[in-house]
Amino acid sequence: MTTTPAAVAESGLDVLGTVDVDDVLDYLHRDLKRLPGYLDLYRRYLRQRWDVFALDFTPDSRDWAERMTADERDAFVAISSGFHHGERQVEVELPLFMLGGDDEAKIYLSSQIEDEARHTVFFDRFYREVVGLPGDSVQDLLDASYNYVSETFIGPFGLLAHLGDTLRRDPDDPVARVRFGTAYFLWIEGVLALSVMKITLGYCRSRGVLPGYSAGFTATCRDEARHVQFGMRFLRDSVRADPRLLLEVHETLRTLLAMNRATSRPVELGALGWSGEEVRRLMIRQLWMKVNDVGIDLPSDIRDSIQRIEPDLAGG
Amino acid sequence: MALDRTAPPSPPSAAPAHRAADPAAPPPFLGPAWAEAVRAAVDSGPPPEVRAAKLDKYWTWIERRRADYTATWVLGVRGAPAALGSTRRDITLEWSGGRCARVAVTAPDASTPPGTYVLSAEYAVWRRLLSGEDPGRVLMYRQMRLEHGDVLLFFRGVYFFVESLAALARVPAAVP
Repeated sequence: MTTTPAAVAESGLDVLGTVDVDDVLDYLHRDLKRLPGYLDLYRRYLRQRWDVFALDFTPDSRDWAERMTADERDAFVAISSGFHHGERQVEVELPLFMLGGDDEAKIYLSSQIEDEARHTVFFDRFYREVVGLPGDSVQDLLDASYNYVSETFIGPFGLLAHLGDTLRRDPDDPVARVRFGTAYFLWIEGVLALSVMKITLGYCRSRGVLPGYSAGFTATCRDEARHVQFGMRFLRDSVRADPRLLLEVHETLRTLLAMNRATSRPVELGALGWSGEEVRRLMIRQLWMKVNDVGIDLPSDIRDSIQRIEPDLAGG
Repeated sequence: MALDRTAPPSPPSAAPAHRAADPAAPPPFLGPAWAEAVRAAVDSGPPPEVRAAKLDKYWTWIERRRADYTATWVLGVRGAPAALGSTRRDITLEWSGGRCARVAVTAPDASTPPGTYVLSAEYAVWRRLLSGEDPGRVLMYRQMRLEHGDVLLFFRGVYFFVESLAALARVPAAVP
Protein backbone atom coordinates (compact mmCIF):
# COMPACT_ATOMS: atom_id res chain seq x y z
CA MET A 1 0.00 0.00 0.00
CA THR A 2 1.37 3.41 -0.96
CA THR A 3 1.76 5.98 1.80
CA THR A 4 1.09 9.56 0.73
CA PRO A 5 3.80 12.18 1.21
CA ALA A 6 1.59 13.93 3.76
CA ALA A 7 1.29 10.71 5.76
CA VAL A 8 5.05 10.12 5.55
CA ALA A 9 5.60 13.65 6.85
CA GLU A 10 3.30 13.32 9.84
CA SER A 11 3.59 9.67 10.95
CA GLY A 12 5.01 8.64 14.27
CA LEU A 13 7.40 5.76 14.94
CA ASP A 14 4.51 3.29 15.35
CA VAL A 15 3.43 3.86 11.73
CA LEU A 16 6.80 4.59 10.10
CA GLY A 17 7.93 1.00 10.58
CA THR A 18 5.24 -0.10 8.14
CA VAL A 19 5.94 2.55 5.48
CA ASP A 20 7.68 1.40 2.29
CA VAL A 21 11.10 3.03 1.93
CA ASP A 22 10.23 3.92 -1.66
CA ASP A 23 7.45 6.15 -0.35
CA VAL A 24 9.95 7.93 1.90
CA LEU A 25 12.35 8.37 -1.03
CA ASP A 26 9.50 9.78 -3.12
CA TYR A 27 8.71 12.15 -0.26
CA LEU A 28 12.36 13.25 -0.23
CA HIS A 29 12.62 13.88 -3.96
CA ARG A 30 9.23 15.57 -4.27
CA ASP A 31 10.58 18.70 -2.57
CA LEU A 32 13.93 18.80 -4.35
CA LYS A 33 12.59 20.91 -7.20
CA ARG A 34 11.21 23.63 -4.92
CA LEU A 35 13.65 23.21 -2.01
CA PRO A 36 12.16 24.50 1.27
CA GLY A 37 13.82 27.34 3.16
CA TYR A 38 16.14 26.62 6.08
CA LEU A 39 13.63 27.72 8.74
CA ASP A 40 10.89 25.67 7.05
CA LEU A 41 13.13 22.64 7.42
CA TYR A 42 13.80 23.53 11.04
CA ARG A 43 10.03 23.70 11.73
CA ARG A 44 9.61 20.35 10.05
CA TYR A 45 12.37 18.93 12.28
CA LEU A 46 10.50 20.07 15.38
CA ARG A 47 7.42 18.15 14.23
CA GLN A 48 9.28 15.04 13.08
CA ARG A 49 11.80 14.55 15.89
CA TRP A 50 11.50 11.07 17.34
CA ASP A 51 12.67 9.37 20.52
CA VAL A 52 15.39 6.82 19.84
CA PHE A 53 14.82 5.31 23.29
CA ALA A 54 11.16 4.62 22.49
CA LEU A 55 12.14 1.85 20.07
CA ASP A 56 11.67 -1.73 21.25
CA PHE A 57 14.40 -4.01 19.89
CA THR A 58 13.12 -7.14 21.67
CA PRO A 59 11.45 -8.64 18.54
CA ASP A 60 14.54 -7.72 16.49
CA SER A 61 16.75 -9.64 18.86
CA ARG A 62 14.55 -12.73 18.39
CA ASP A 63 14.55 -12.32 14.60
CA TRP A 64 18.34 -11.95 14.60
CA ALA A 65 18.84 -15.16 16.52
CA GLU A 66 16.01 -17.31 15.17
CA ARG A 67 14.76 -16.13 11.79
CA MET A 68 17.75 -14.69 9.95
CA THR A 69 20.35 -16.94 8.36
CA ALA A 70 24.06 -16.57 9.03
CA ASP A 71 24.55 -15.17 5.51
CA GLU A 72 21.80 -12.63 6.06
CA ARG A 73 23.28 -11.55 9.40
CA ASP A 74 26.77 -11.24 7.90
CA ALA A 75 25.57 -9.15 4.98
CA PHE A 76 23.33 -7.01 7.16
CA VAL A 77 26.02 -6.23 9.71
CA ALA A 78 28.60 -5.53 7.01
CA ILE A 79 26.32 -2.92 5.43
CA SER A 80 25.00 -1.47 8.68
CA SER A 81 28.48 -0.98 10.13
CA GLY A 82 29.22 1.51 7.37
CA PHE A 83 26.20 3.42 8.62
CA HIS A 84 27.06 3.06 12.32
CA HIS A 85 30.43 4.72 11.69
CA GLY A 86 29.04 7.05 9.04
CA GLU A 87 26.54 8.54 11.48
CA ARG A 88 29.26 9.06 14.05
CA GLN A 89 31.52 10.73 11.51
CA VAL A 90 28.92 13.19 10.22
CA GLU A 91 27.80 13.93 13.79
CA VAL A 92 31.32 15.08 14.71
CA GLU A 93 32.13 16.85 11.41
CA LEU A 94 28.92 18.84 10.82
CA PRO A 95 29.61 21.32 13.66
CA LEU A 96 32.59 22.56 11.63
CA PHE A 97 30.25 23.43 8.74
CA MET A 98 27.89 25.18 11.17
CA LEU A 99 30.67 27.60 12.16
CA GLY A 100 29.98 29.51 8.93
CA GLY A 101 26.94 30.53 6.91
CA ASP A 102 23.94 32.68 7.78
CA ASP A 103 21.91 32.43 10.96
CA GLU A 104 18.99 30.62 9.36
CA ALA A 105 21.40 27.92 8.21
CA LYS A 106 23.00 27.71 11.66
CA ILE A 107 19.61 27.27 13.34
CA TYR A 108 18.68 24.51 10.90
CA LEU A 109 22.08 22.83 11.24
CA SER A 110 21.69 22.62 15.02
CA SER A 111 18.76 20.28 14.32
CA GLN A 112 20.71 18.19 11.83
CA ILE A 113 23.55 17.72 14.32
CA GLU A 114 20.98 16.47 16.85
CA ASP A 115 19.55 14.14 14.18
CA GLU A 116 22.99 12.68 13.47
CA ALA A 117 23.69 12.18 17.18
CA ARG A 118 20.32 10.39 17.54
CA HIS A 119 21.10 8.20 14.54
CA THR A 120 24.43 7.27 16.15
CA VAL A 121 22.57 6.22 19.29
CA PHE A 122 20.12 4.25 17.14
CA PHE A 123 22.97 2.14 15.72
CA ASP A 124 24.64 1.91 19.11
CA ARG A 125 21.42 0.40 20.51
CA PHE A 126 20.99 -1.91 17.50
CA TYR A 127 24.52 -3.30 17.75
CA ARG A 128 24.34 -3.59 21.52
CA GLU A 129 20.81 -5.07 21.87
CA VAL A 130 20.31 -7.00 18.63
CA VAL A 131 23.73 -7.93 17.18
CA GLY A 132 25.17 -8.37 20.67
CA LEU A 133 28.48 -6.59 20.26
CA PRO A 134 30.29 -5.96 23.54
CA GLY A 135 31.22 -2.63 25.10
CA ASP A 136 30.33 -0.12 27.76
CA SER A 137 30.76 3.17 25.93
CA VAL A 138 29.71 4.50 22.53
CA GLN A 139 33.36 4.30 21.47
CA ASP A 140 33.57 0.67 22.63
CA LEU A 141 30.72 -0.24 20.28
CA LEU A 142 32.31 1.72 17.45
CA ASP A 143 35.56 -0.14 18.04
CA ALA A 144 33.71 -3.46 18.00
CA SER A 145 31.84 -2.79 14.76
CA TYR A 146 34.86 -1.26 13.00
CA ASN A 147 36.09 -4.74 12.11
CA TYR A 148 33.12 -5.05 9.76
CA VAL A 149 33.76 -1.73 8.03
CA SER A 150 35.41 -1.81 4.63
CA GLU A 151 38.87 -0.26 4.31
CA THR A 152 37.51 2.03 1.61
CA PHE A 153 35.10 3.61 4.10
CA ILE A 154 37.84 6.06 5.02
CA GLY A 155 37.83 7.47 1.48
CA PRO A 156 34.67 9.59 1.59
CA PHE A 157 34.56 9.90 5.37
CA GLY A 158 38.27 10.72 5.72
CA LEU A 159 37.85 13.29 2.96
CA LEU A 160 34.93 14.80 4.87
CA ALA A 161 37.04 14.99 8.04
CA HIS A 162 39.87 16.80 6.31
CA LEU A 163 37.53 19.12 4.42
CA GLY A 164 36.11 19.87 7.86
CA ASP A 165 39.61 20.70 9.06
CA THR A 166 39.84 23.28 6.27
CA LEU A 167 36.56 24.78 7.49
CA ARG A 168 37.89 24.91 11.03
CA ARG A 169 40.62 27.25 9.80
CA ASP A 170 38.23 29.44 7.74
CA PRO A 171 34.53 28.60 8.31
CA ASP A 172 33.27 31.12 5.73
CA ASP A 173 35.57 30.12 2.86
CA PRO A 174 33.03 29.48 0.06
CA VAL A 175 35.29 26.98 -1.72
CA ALA A 176 35.76 24.93 1.45
CA ARG A 177 32.03 25.07 2.18
CA VAL A 178 31.01 23.88 -1.28
CA ARG A 179 33.57 21.07 -1.21
CA PHE A 180 32.33 19.94 2.21
CA GLY A 181 28.69 20.30 1.11
CA THR A 182 29.27 18.22 -2.01
CA ALA A 183 30.97 15.41 -0.10
CA TYR A 184 28.43 15.37 2.72
CA PHE A 185 25.01 16.33 1.38
CA LEU A 186 25.29 15.18 -2.22
CA TRP A 187 27.48 12.06 -2.00
CA ILE A 188 27.38 10.67 1.56
CA GLU A 189 23.75 11.49 2.26
CA GLY A 190 22.24 11.84 -1.21
CA VAL A 191 23.81 8.75 -2.76
CA LEU A 192 25.43 6.41 -0.21
CA ALA A 193 22.95 6.74 2.66
CA LEU A 194 19.78 6.55 0.62
CA SER A 195 21.06 3.50 -1.25
CA VAL A 196 21.85 1.61 1.96
CA MET A 197 18.47 2.59 3.38
CA LYS A 198 16.67 1.15 0.40
CA ILE A 199 18.68 -2.09 0.54
CA THR A 200 18.33 -2.83 4.26
CA LEU A 201 14.77 -1.55 4.71
CA GLY A 202 13.65 -3.37 1.55
CA TYR A 203 15.16 -6.57 2.95
CA CYS A 204 13.43 -6.13 6.34
CA ARG A 205 10.09 -5.52 4.65
CA SER A 206 10.32 -8.46 2.25
CA ARG A 207 11.40 -10.87 5.02
CA GLY A 208 9.15 -9.42 7.70
CA VAL A 209 12.01 -9.08 10.22
CA LEU A 210 13.58 -6.43 12.47
CA PRO A 211 10.56 -4.21 13.19
CA GLY A 212 12.44 -1.95 15.61
CA TYR A 213 15.21 -1.41 13.10
CA SER A 214 12.63 -0.74 10.36
CA ALA A 215 10.82 1.89 12.43
CA GLY A 216 13.99 3.68 13.50
CA PHE A 217 15.74 3.51 10.15
CA THR A 218 12.65 4.64 8.23
CA ALA A 219 12.46 7.60 10.62
CA THR A 220 16.16 8.15 9.93
CA CYS A 221 15.42 8.09 6.20
CA ARG A 222 12.74 10.75 6.70
CA ASP A 223 15.31 12.85 8.60
CA GLU A 224 17.65 12.43 5.63
CA ALA A 225 15.00 14.07 3.46
CA ARG A 226 15.51 17.30 5.40
CA HIS A 227 19.27 16.91 5.28
CA VAL A 228 19.43 16.34 1.54
CA GLN A 229 16.97 19.15 0.84
CA PHE A 230 19.06 21.54 2.97
CA GLY A 231 22.24 20.43 1.24
CA MET A 232 20.87 20.70 -2.27
CA ARG A 233 19.53 24.18 -1.51
CA PHE A 234 22.91 25.16 -0.11
CA LEU A 235 24.72 23.92 -3.23
CA ARG A 236 22.19 25.46 -5.61
CA ASP A 237 22.32 28.85 -3.87
CA SER A 238 26.12 28.78 -3.60
CA VAL A 239 26.54 28.14 -7.33
CA ARG A 240 23.92 30.77 -8.20
CA ALA A 241 25.77 33.31 -6.05
CA ASP A 242 29.13 32.49 -7.62
CA PRO A 243 29.04 30.24 -10.71
CA ARG A 244 32.77 29.53 -10.35
CA LEU A 245 31.88 27.34 -7.36
CA LEU A 246 30.39 24.81 -9.76
CA LEU A 247 34.00 23.86 -10.54
CA GLU A 248 34.46 22.96 -6.86
CA VAL A 249 31.41 20.69 -7.01
CA HIS A 250 33.02 19.04 -10.03
CA GLU A 251 36.47 18.66 -8.45
CA THR A 252 34.96 17.16 -5.30
CA LEU A 253 32.87 14.73 -7.32
CA ARG A 254 35.94 13.75 -9.37
CA THR A 255 37.72 12.88 -6.11
CA LEU A 256 34.77 10.93 -4.70
CA LEU A 257 34.27 9.02 -7.93
CA ALA A 258 38.00 8.26 -8.19
CA MET A 259 37.98 6.79 -4.68
CA ASN A 260 34.77 4.87 -5.40
CA ARG A 261 36.56 2.52 -7.82
CA ALA A 262 38.46 0.81 -5.00
CA THR A 263 36.73 -2.13 -3.31
CA SER A 264 38.60 -3.94 -0.55
CA ARG A 265 36.25 -6.70 0.59
CA PRO A 266 33.21 -8.54 -0.72
CA VAL A 267 29.71 -8.07 0.65
CA GLU A 268 27.25 -10.87 -0.06
CA LEU A 269 24.43 -8.64 -1.22
CA GLY A 270 22.56 -11.64 -2.60
CA ALA A 271 21.63 -12.61 0.97
CA LEU A 272 19.65 -9.37 1.18
CA GLY A 273 18.06 -9.82 -2.23
CA TRP A 274 20.31 -7.50 -4.21
CA SER A 275 23.00 -7.89 -6.85
CA GLY A 276 26.03 -5.64 -7.19
CA GLU A 277 24.70 -4.40 -10.52
CA GLU A 278 21.37 -3.44 -8.94
CA VAL A 279 23.15 -1.48 -6.21
CA ARG A 280 25.33 0.21 -8.83
CA ARG A 281 22.27 1.31 -10.81
CA LEU A 282 20.57 2.47 -7.62
CA MET A 283 23.53 4.69 -6.72
CA ILE A 284 23.72 6.13 -10.22
CA ARG A 285 20.00 6.91 -10.15
CA GLN A 286 20.24 8.55 -6.72
CA LEU A 287 23.08 10.80 -7.89
CA TRP A 288 21.37 11.85 -11.12
CA MET A 289 18.11 12.64 -9.30
CA LYS A 290 19.94 15.11 -7.07
CA VAL A 291 22.04 16.87 -9.69
CA ASN A 292 19.18 17.07 -12.20
CA ASP A 293 16.64 18.38 -9.71
CA VAL A 294 18.86 21.21 -8.48
CA GLY A 295 20.33 21.96 -11.91
CA ILE A 296 23.98 21.02 -11.38
CA ASP A 297 25.56 20.59 -14.81
CA LEU A 298 28.25 17.94 -15.08
CA PRO A 299 31.03 17.74 -17.67
CA SER A 300 31.47 14.64 -19.81
CA ASP A 301 34.34 13.09 -17.81
CA ILE A 302 32.22 13.08 -14.64
CA ARG A 303 29.22 11.73 -16.54
CA ASP A 304 31.44 8.90 -17.77
CA SER A 305 32.73 8.24 -14.24
CA ILE A 306 29.19 8.08 -12.88
CA GLN A 307 28.40 5.30 -15.34
CA ARG A 308 31.29 3.32 -13.84
CA ILE A 309 30.25 3.73 -10.19
CA GLU A 310 30.98 0.70 -7.99
CA PRO A 311 28.72 -0.44 -5.13
CA ASP A 312 29.80 1.43 -2.00
CA LEU A 313 27.89 0.57 1.14
CA ALA A 314 28.09 3.21 3.81
CA GLY A 315 26.16 6.28 4.79
CA GLY A 316 25.63 8.94 7.39
CA MET B 1 32.90 -11.93 8.48
CA ALA B 2 35.31 -9.39 9.79
CA LEU B 3 38.53 -9.61 7.84
CA ASP B 4 42.00 -8.92 9.10
CA ARG B 5 42.69 -5.33 8.16
CA THR B 6 46.43 -5.73 8.05
CA ALA B 7 48.93 -8.24 9.23
CA PRO B 8 49.89 -6.99 12.67
CA PRO B 9 53.36 -5.50 12.84
CA SER B 10 55.87 -6.43 15.44
CA PRO B 11 55.22 -4.34 18.54
CA PRO B 12 57.68 -1.51 18.89
CA SER B 13 60.62 -2.36 21.06
CA ALA B 14 61.66 -0.16 23.92
CA ALA B 15 65.00 1.35 22.94
CA PRO B 16 67.70 0.96 25.59
CA ALA B 17 69.43 4.17 26.62
CA HIS B 18 72.81 2.85 25.50
CA ARG B 19 72.34 0.28 22.79
CA ALA B 20 74.94 -2.42 22.45
CA ALA B 21 75.63 -3.40 18.84
CA ASP B 22 73.07 -6.18 18.39
CA PRO B 23 72.55 -7.08 14.74
CA ALA B 24 69.20 -8.69 15.57
CA ALA B 25 67.82 -5.62 17.34
CA PRO B 26 65.44 -3.37 15.40
CA PRO B 27 66.93 -0.06 14.27
CA PRO B 28 66.00 3.04 16.25
CA PHE B 29 62.84 4.82 15.14
CA LEU B 30 63.75 7.80 12.92
CA GLY B 31 67.36 6.64 12.57
CA PRO B 32 69.04 6.26 9.15
CA ALA B 33 68.82 2.44 9.13
CA TRP B 34 65.11 2.61 9.95
CA ALA B 35 64.60 5.22 7.21
CA GLU B 36 66.25 2.99 4.62
CA ALA B 37 64.18 0.01 5.80
CA VAL B 38 61.06 2.15 5.40
CA ARG B 39 62.05 3.12 1.88
CA ALA B 40 62.51 -0.52 0.94
CA ALA B 41 59.23 -1.55 2.59
CA VAL B 42 57.01 1.09 0.99
CA ASP B 43 58.74 0.69 -2.35
CA SER B 44 58.26 -3.07 -2.49
CA GLY B 45 54.54 -2.92 -1.70
CA PRO B 46 52.53 -5.26 0.52
CA PRO B 47 53.78 -8.73 1.46
CA PRO B 48 51.57 -11.67 0.34
CA GLU B 49 49.77 -12.07 3.67
CA VAL B 50 48.71 -8.42 3.64
CA ARG B 51 47.72 -8.56 -0.01
CA ALA B 52 45.60 -11.66 0.56
CA ALA B 53 43.49 -9.93 3.21
CA LYS B 54 41.92 -7.55 0.68
CA LEU B 55 40.41 -7.91 -2.77
CA ASP B 56 42.68 -7.71 -5.83
CA LYS B 57 40.52 -4.82 -7.01
CA TYR B 58 41.77 -2.74 -4.09
CA TRP B 59 45.42 -3.41 -4.90
CA THR B 60 44.80 -2.79 -8.60
CA TRP B 61 43.39 0.64 -7.70
CA ILE B 62 46.55 1.38 -5.70
CA GLU B 63 48.85 0.11 -8.45
CA ARG B 64 47.14 2.31 -11.03
CA ARG B 65 47.39 5.33 -8.76
CA ARG B 66 51.00 4.57 -7.99
CA ALA B 67 52.11 3.82 -11.56
CA ASP B 68 53.14 7.38 -12.41
CA TYR B 69 53.04 8.85 -8.93
CA THR B 70 55.48 11.68 -8.31
CA ALA B 71 55.14 13.63 -5.09
CA THR B 72 56.85 14.27 -1.79
CA TRP B 73 55.18 13.29 1.47
CA VAL B 74 56.42 14.90 4.66
CA LEU B 75 55.20 13.10 7.77
CA GLY B 76 55.74 15.04 10.96
CA VAL B 77 56.24 13.56 14.41
CA ARG B 78 55.08 16.20 16.86
CA GLY B 79 56.18 16.22 20.48
CA ALA B 80 59.00 13.74 20.09
CA PRO B 81 60.52 12.65 23.40
CA ALA B 82 63.94 13.73 24.65
CA ALA B 83 65.63 10.66 23.17
CA LEU B 84 64.47 11.86 19.73
CA GLY B 85 65.41 15.49 20.28
CA SER B 86 62.35 16.87 22.12
CA THR B 87 61.28 18.65 18.94
CA ARG B 88 59.25 17.95 15.86
CA ARG B 89 60.91 15.52 13.49
CA ASP B 90 59.86 15.06 9.88
CA ILE B 91 60.06 11.96 7.72
CA THR B 92 60.28 12.77 4.00
CA LEU B 93 59.27 10.18 1.40
CA GLU B 94 60.10 11.13 -2.17
CA TRP B 95 58.06 9.35 -4.85
CA SER B 96 59.21 9.53 -8.44
CA GLY B 97 57.51 7.67 -11.27
CA GLY B 98 55.85 5.29 -8.82
CA ARG B 99 59.05 4.40 -6.95
CA CYS B 100 60.03 5.52 -3.49
CA ALA B 101 63.39 7.06 -4.32
CA ARG B 102 64.39 8.40 -0.92
CA VAL B 103 63.36 8.47 2.71
CA ALA B 104 65.05 10.96 5.01
CA VAL B 105 64.46 12.18 8.54
CA THR B 106 65.18 15.73 9.65
CA ALA B 107 67.61 16.37 12.47
CA PRO B 108 66.27 17.78 15.75
CA ASP B 109 65.53 21.50 15.48
CA ALA B 110 65.59 21.40 11.67
CA SER B 111 62.72 23.16 9.95
CA THR B 112 60.01 21.12 8.24
CA PRO B 113 61.05 20.49 4.63
CA PRO B 114 58.72 21.37 1.76
CA GLY B 115 56.46 18.64 0.45
CA THR B 116 53.56 18.15 -1.92
CA TYR B 117 51.66 16.97 1.13
CA VAL B 118 52.71 17.68 4.70
CA LEU B 119 50.95 15.71 7.41
CA SER B 120 51.72 15.32 11.08
CA ALA B 121 50.66 13.46 14.19
CA GLU B 122 51.60 13.50 17.85
CA TYR B 123 54.32 11.10 18.95
CA ALA B 124 51.76 9.11 20.96
CA VAL B 125 49.79 8.52 17.74
CA TRP B 126 52.97 7.35 15.98
CA ARG B 127 53.56 4.89 18.78
CA ARG B 128 50.08 3.49 18.30
CA LEU B 129 50.60 3.26 14.55
CA LEU B 130 53.83 1.33 15.12
CA SER B 131 51.88 -0.97 17.45
CA GLY B 132 49.38 -1.83 14.72
CA GLU B 133 46.65 0.82 14.94
CA ASP B 134 44.68 1.14 11.70
CA PRO B 135 46.30 3.99 9.72
CA GLY B 136 43.09 4.70 7.82
CA ARG B 137 41.18 5.24 11.03
CA VAL B 138 43.97 7.48 12.36
CA LEU B 139 43.64 9.59 9.23
CA MET B 140 39.82 9.63 9.35
CA TYR B 141 39.80 10.64 13.01
CA ARG B 142 42.19 13.50 12.12
CA GLN B 143 44.77 12.19 14.55
CA MET B 144 47.06 12.76 11.58
CA ARG B 145 46.36 16.15 10.05
CA LEU B 146 46.98 17.40 6.55
CA GLU B 147 48.94 20.61 7.14
CA HIS B 148 49.80 21.44 3.54
CA GLY B 149 48.61 20.27 0.13
CA ASP B 150 45.35 20.12 -1.78
CA VAL B 151 43.00 17.89 0.17
CA LEU B 152 41.08 16.72 -2.92
CA LEU B 153 44.22 15.71 -4.81
CA PHE B 154 45.60 14.01 -1.71
CA PHE B 155 42.49 11.89 -1.33
CA ARG B 156 42.61 10.77 -4.96
CA GLY B 157 45.52 8.61 -3.80
CA VAL B 158 44.34 7.99 -0.25
CA TYR B 159 44.42 4.17 -0.25
CA PHE B 160 47.95 4.25 -1.67
CA PHE B 161 48.91 6.61 1.15
CA VAL B 162 47.22 4.50 3.83
CA GLU B 163 48.84 1.27 2.66
CA SER B 164 52.23 2.99 2.47
CA LEU B 165 51.75 4.25 6.01
CA ALA B 166 50.82 0.71 7.06
CA ALA B 167 54.01 -0.58 5.37
CA LEU B 168 56.05 2.06 7.19
CA ALA B 169 54.46 1.04 10.50
CA ARG B 170 55.29 -2.63 9.91
CA VAL B 171 59.02 -1.87 9.79
CA PRO B 172 60.42 -2.97 13.15
CA ALA B 173 61.66 -0.06 15.18
CA ALA B 174 63.11 0.51 18.61
CA VAL B 175 60.92 3.23 20.06
CA PRO B 176 61.78 5.33 23.11
